[in-house]
Amino acid sequence: MPTYETLFITPPTLSDDEERTTVETLAAIVTEGGGEFTANERMGRRRLAYPIRKFDDGVYTRFLYDAEIEVPKELERRIRLSDNVLRSLTVRLEDDWAAAAKVQAVKDAERRAEQAAEAARLAEEEAARAAEAAAAAPEAPTEEAVEAAPEPAADPAAESTEEAKPQEAASAEKEGE
Amino acid sequence: MAMRREGGGGFGRRRFLFRRRKYCKFCEAKTQWIDHKDMKTLQNYIPERSKILPRRISGNCAKHQRDLMRAIKRARSIALLPFTSD
Repeated sequence: MPTYETLFITPPTLSDDEERTTVETLAAIVTEGGGEFTANERMGRRRLAYPIRKFDDGVYTRFLYDAEIEVPKELERRIRLSDNVLRSLTVRLEDDWAAAAKVQAVKDAERRAEQAAEAARLAEEEAARAAEAAAAAPEAPTEEAVEAAPEPAADPAAESTEEAKPQEAASAEKEGE
Repeated sequence: MAMRREGGGGFGRRRFLFRRRKYCKFCEAKTQWIDHKDMKTLQNYIPERSKILPRRISGNCAKHQRDLMRAIKRARSIALLPFTSD
Protein backbone atom coordinates (compact mmCIF):
# COMPACT_ATOMS: atom_id res chain seq x y z
CA MET A 1 0.00 0.00 0.00
CA PRO A 2 1.34 3.44 -0.83
CA THR A 3 1.81 6.04 1.85
CA TYR A 4 -0.07 9.32 1.73
CA GLU A 5 0.17 12.47 3.72
CA THR A 6 -2.80 14.78 3.98
CA LEU A 7 -2.48 18.19 5.50
CA PHE A 8 -5.57 20.25 6.08
CA ILE A 9 -6.48 23.53 7.67
CA THR A 10 -9.52 24.07 9.87
CA PRO A 11 -10.77 27.52 10.89
CA PRO A 12 -9.48 28.82 14.23
CA THR A 13 -13.02 29.75 15.22
CA LEU A 14 -14.12 26.13 15.61
CA SER A 15 -14.71 25.03 19.17
CA ASP A 16 -12.57 22.19 20.48
CA ASP A 17 -15.51 19.82 20.10
CA GLU A 18 -16.29 20.87 16.54
CA GLU A 19 -12.66 20.55 15.60
CA ARG A 20 -12.43 17.11 17.14
CA THR A 21 -15.53 15.83 15.36
CA THR A 22 -14.29 17.21 12.03
CA VAL A 23 -10.92 15.49 12.43
CA GLU A 24 -12.52 12.28 13.66
CA THR A 25 -14.97 12.10 10.75
CA LEU A 26 -12.11 12.50 8.31
CA ALA A 27 -9.96 9.99 10.17
CA ALA A 28 -12.85 7.52 10.06
CA ILE A 29 -12.84 7.67 6.25
CA VAL A 30 -9.26 6.45 6.26
CA THR A 31 -9.78 3.64 8.75
CA GLU A 32 -13.05 2.51 7.16
CA GLY A 33 -11.36 2.38 3.79
CA GLY A 34 -8.81 -0.04 5.20
CA GLY A 35 -6.13 2.59 5.70
CA GLU A 36 -3.60 2.44 8.48
CA PHE A 37 -2.58 5.55 10.39
CA THR A 38 1.00 6.27 11.32
CA ALA A 39 0.30 9.78 12.49
CA ASN A 40 -2.79 11.83 13.19
CA GLU A 41 -1.18 14.94 14.46
CA ARG A 42 -2.54 18.35 15.35
CA MET A 43 0.22 20.67 14.22
CA GLY A 44 -1.38 23.57 15.97
CA ARG A 45 -2.58 27.04 15.14
CA ARG A 46 -0.47 28.89 12.66
CA ARG A 47 -0.63 32.17 10.81
CA LEU A 48 -1.65 31.66 7.19
CA ALA A 49 0.65 33.08 4.53
CA TYR A 50 -2.41 34.66 2.92
CA PRO A 51 -5.99 34.98 4.13
CA ILE A 52 -8.37 32.15 3.22
CA ARG A 53 -12.09 32.87 3.53
CA LYS A 54 -11.10 35.96 5.50
CA PHE A 55 -9.27 33.90 8.12
CA ASP A 56 -5.73 34.97 8.95
CA ASP A 57 -5.01 31.94 11.13
CA GLY A 58 -5.69 28.28 10.73
CA VAL A 59 -5.29 25.04 12.63
CA TYR A 60 -3.16 22.53 10.77
CA THR A 61 -3.74 18.80 11.07
CA ARG A 62 -1.62 16.14 9.49
CA PHE A 63 -2.61 12.60 8.56
CA LEU A 64 0.09 10.13 7.60
CA TYR A 65 -1.36 6.80 6.48
CA ASP A 66 -0.99 3.77 4.30
CA ALA A 67 -3.98 3.15 2.08
CA GLU A 68 -5.17 2.20 -1.37
CA ILE A 69 -5.71 5.00 -3.86
CA GLU A 70 -9.50 5.12 -3.27
CA VAL A 71 -8.99 6.33 0.29
CA PRO A 72 -7.25 9.65 -0.36
CA LYS A 73 -9.66 10.20 -3.27
CA GLU A 74 -12.66 9.81 -0.99
CA LEU A 75 -10.95 11.85 1.72
CA GLU A 76 -10.36 14.73 -0.65
CA ARG A 77 -13.93 14.56 -1.92
CA ARG A 78 -15.27 14.76 1.62
CA ILE A 79 -12.87 17.56 2.49
CA ARG A 80 -14.13 19.54 -0.47
CA LEU A 81 -17.71 19.09 0.75
CA SER A 82 -16.87 20.01 4.30
CA ASP A 83 -17.35 23.60 5.42
CA ASN A 84 -14.93 23.10 8.27
CA VAL A 85 -11.84 22.63 6.15
CA LEU A 86 -10.27 25.69 4.57
CA ARG A 87 -7.59 24.00 2.49
CA SER A 88 -6.00 20.61 2.12
CA LEU A 89 -3.04 19.00 0.43
CA THR A 90 -2.57 15.30 -0.17
CA VAL A 91 0.78 14.00 -1.29
CA ARG A 92 1.85 10.48 -2.04
CA LEU A 93 5.22 9.92 -0.44
CA GLU A 94 7.86 7.96 -2.31
CA ASP A 95 9.05 4.83 -0.57
CA ASP A 96 12.22 6.09 1.11
CA TRP A 97 10.62 9.36 2.07
CA ALA A 98 7.62 7.48 3.48
CA ALA A 99 9.86 5.23 5.55
CA ALA A 100 11.75 8.19 6.98
CA ALA A 101 8.52 10.10 7.64
CA LYS A 102 7.08 7.14 9.54
CA VAL A 103 10.16 6.79 11.71
CA GLN A 104 10.03 10.51 12.43
CA ALA A 105 6.32 10.38 13.18
CA VAL A 106 6.80 7.60 15.71
CA LYS A 107 9.63 9.54 17.33
CA ASP A 108 7.51 12.69 17.45
CA ALA A 109 4.63 10.79 19.03
CA GLU A 110 6.97 9.38 21.67
CA ARG A 111 8.38 12.81 22.37
CA ARG A 112 4.91 14.28 22.71
CA ALA A 113 3.87 11.49 25.05
CA GLU A 114 6.97 12.12 27.14
CA GLN A 115 6.25 15.82 27.24
CA ALA A 116 2.67 15.16 28.27
CA ALA A 117 3.85 12.81 31.01
CA GLU A 118 6.38 15.40 32.16
CA ALA A 119 3.72 18.10 32.22
CA ALA A 120 1.40 15.84 34.19
CA ARG A 121 4.19 15.06 36.64
CA LEU A 122 4.99 18.75 37.09
CA ALA A 123 1.33 19.56 37.62
CA GLU A 124 1.11 16.82 40.21
CA GLU A 125 4.18 18.11 42.02
CA GLU A 126 2.78 21.62 41.89
CA ALA A 127 -0.48 20.40 43.39
CA ALA A 128 1.39 18.49 46.09
CA ARG A 129 3.44 21.56 46.90
CA ALA A 130 0.34 23.73 47.08
CA ALA A 131 -1.32 21.18 49.35
CA GLU A 132 1.80 21.14 51.55
CA ALA A 133 1.84 24.92 51.75
CA ALA A 134 -1.82 24.90 52.67
CA ALA A 135 -1.15 22.31 55.36
CA ALA A 136 1.82 24.30 56.69
CA ALA A 137 -0.19 27.47 57.10
CA PRO A 138 -3.76 26.45 57.86
CA GLU A 139 -4.08 29.02 60.63
CA ALA A 140 -3.13 31.86 58.27
CA PRO A 141 -5.93 32.17 55.71
CA THR A 142 -5.55 35.93 55.11
CA GLU A 143 -2.57 37.99 54.07
CA GLU A 144 -2.58 40.18 57.18
CA ALA A 145 -2.46 37.13 59.37
CA VAL A 146 0.63 35.84 57.55
CA GLU A 147 2.37 39.18 57.88
CA ALA A 148 1.60 39.29 61.55
CA ALA A 149 2.80 35.74 62.09
CA PRO A 150 6.27 35.31 63.64
CA GLU A 151 9.20 34.95 61.21
CA PRO A 152 10.05 31.25 61.02
CA ALA A 153 13.37 31.66 59.17
CA ALA A 154 16.74 32.94 60.45
CA ASP A 155 17.55 36.66 60.20
CA PRO A 156 19.85 36.65 57.14
CA ALA A 157 17.13 34.96 55.11
CA ALA A 158 14.48 37.34 56.33
CA GLU A 159 14.30 39.31 53.10
CA SER A 160 13.73 36.27 50.91
CA THR A 161 11.03 34.89 53.16
CA GLU A 162 9.44 38.31 53.08
CA GLU A 163 9.19 38.01 49.30
CA ALA A 164 7.97 34.45 49.33
CA LYS A 165 5.21 35.13 51.80
CA PRO A 166 2.50 36.69 49.63
CA GLN A 167 2.71 33.77 47.21
CA GLU A 168 2.34 31.31 50.01
CA ALA A 169 -0.58 33.22 51.34
CA ALA A 170 -2.17 33.32 47.90
CA SER A 171 -1.88 29.58 47.41
CA ALA A 172 -3.14 29.00 50.93
CA GLU A 173 -6.13 31.18 50.15
CA LYS A 174 -6.81 29.27 46.94
CA GLU A 175 -6.70 25.98 48.81
CA GLY A 176 -9.04 27.46 51.39
CA GLU A 177 -11.63 28.15 48.74
CA MET B 1 38.69 47.01 -29.45
CA ALA B 2 40.66 43.95 -28.43
CA MET B 3 42.92 46.13 -26.29
CA ARG B 4 39.97 47.57 -24.42
CA ARG B 5 38.57 44.17 -23.76
CA GLU B 6 41.87 42.99 -22.40
CA GLY B 7 42.12 46.03 -20.18
CA GLY B 8 38.64 45.48 -18.81
CA GLY B 9 39.31 41.77 -18.60
CA GLY B 10 42.08 42.36 -16.09
CA PHE B 11 39.60 43.69 -13.58
CA GLY B 12 37.00 41.15 -14.56
CA ARG B 13 39.41 38.29 -14.17
CA ARG B 14 40.46 39.53 -10.80
CA ARG B 15 36.87 39.59 -9.65
CA PHE B 16 36.29 36.21 -11.14
CA LEU B 17 39.22 34.81 -9.21
CA PHE B 18 37.75 35.97 -5.94
CA ARG B 19 34.23 34.80 -6.67
CA ARG B 20 33.28 31.78 -4.62
CA ARG B 21 32.23 28.82 -6.61
CA LYS B 22 28.53 28.06 -6.24
CA TYR B 23 27.49 24.57 -5.33
CA CYS B 24 24.24 22.77 -4.67
CA LYS B 25 23.65 22.75 -0.93
CA PHE B 26 21.18 19.91 -1.23
CA CYS B 27 23.72 17.72 -3.00
CA GLU B 28 26.25 18.48 -0.32
CA ALA B 29 23.76 17.47 2.37
CA LYS B 30 22.81 14.40 0.28
CA THR B 31 19.17 15.45 0.39
CA GLN B 32 16.86 12.90 -1.18
CA TRP B 33 13.62 14.81 -0.87
CA ILE B 34 12.59 18.29 0.06
CA ASP B 35 9.67 18.44 2.47
CA HIS B 36 6.99 21.03 1.78
CA LYS B 37 6.52 21.40 5.56
CA ASP B 38 10.19 22.17 6.20
CA MET B 39 9.87 25.94 6.43
CA LYS B 40 13.40 26.43 7.73
CA THR B 41 14.87 25.11 4.50
CA LEU B 42 12.32 26.59 2.14
CA GLN B 43 12.63 30.05 3.67
CA ASN B 44 16.23 30.21 2.46
CA TYR B 45 15.02 30.15 -1.13
CA ILE B 46 12.24 32.71 -0.77
CA PRO B 47 13.55 36.23 -1.25
CA GLU B 48 11.65 39.33 -0.27
CA ARG B 49 9.06 39.21 -3.02
CA SER B 50 8.35 35.56 -2.27
CA LYS B 51 9.61 34.41 -5.62
CA ILE B 52 11.59 31.22 -5.96
CA LEU B 53 15.29 31.98 -5.88
CA PRO B 54 16.71 31.18 -9.32
CA ARG B 55 19.32 28.53 -9.82
CA ARG B 56 21.83 30.99 -11.20
CA ILE B 57 21.92 32.61 -7.79
CA SER B 58 21.52 29.67 -5.42
CA GLY B 59 23.74 27.36 -7.46
CA ASN B 60 21.37 24.42 -7.00
CA CYS B 61 21.65 21.50 -9.36
CA ALA B 62 18.78 20.89 -11.78
CA LYS B 63 17.30 17.98 -9.85
CA HIS B 64 17.24 19.74 -6.53
CA GLN B 65 15.97 22.98 -8.01
CA ARG B 66 13.08 20.99 -9.43
CA ASP B 67 12.41 19.30 -6.07
CA LEU B 68 12.64 22.66 -4.33
CA MET B 69 10.23 24.25 -6.79
CA ARG B 70 7.74 21.46 -6.21
CA ALA B 71 8.04 21.77 -2.42
CA ILE B 72 7.59 25.55 -2.54
CA LYS B 73 4.55 25.30 -4.76
CA ARG B 74 2.99 22.74 -2.46
CA ALA B 75 3.72 24.90 0.57
CA ARG B 76 2.05 27.82 -1.19
CA SER B 77 -1.09 25.86 -1.86
CA ILE B 78 -1.66 25.25 1.84
CA ALA B 79 -0.75 28.76 2.92
CA LEU B 80 2.56 27.88 4.51
CA LEU B 81 4.25 30.22 2.05
CA PRO B 82 2.85 33.27 0.29
CA PHE B 83 2.40 33.46 -3.47
CA THR B 84 3.41 37.10 -3.33
CA SER B 85 4.23 39.65 -0.71
CA ASP B 86 3.93 43.45 -0.86
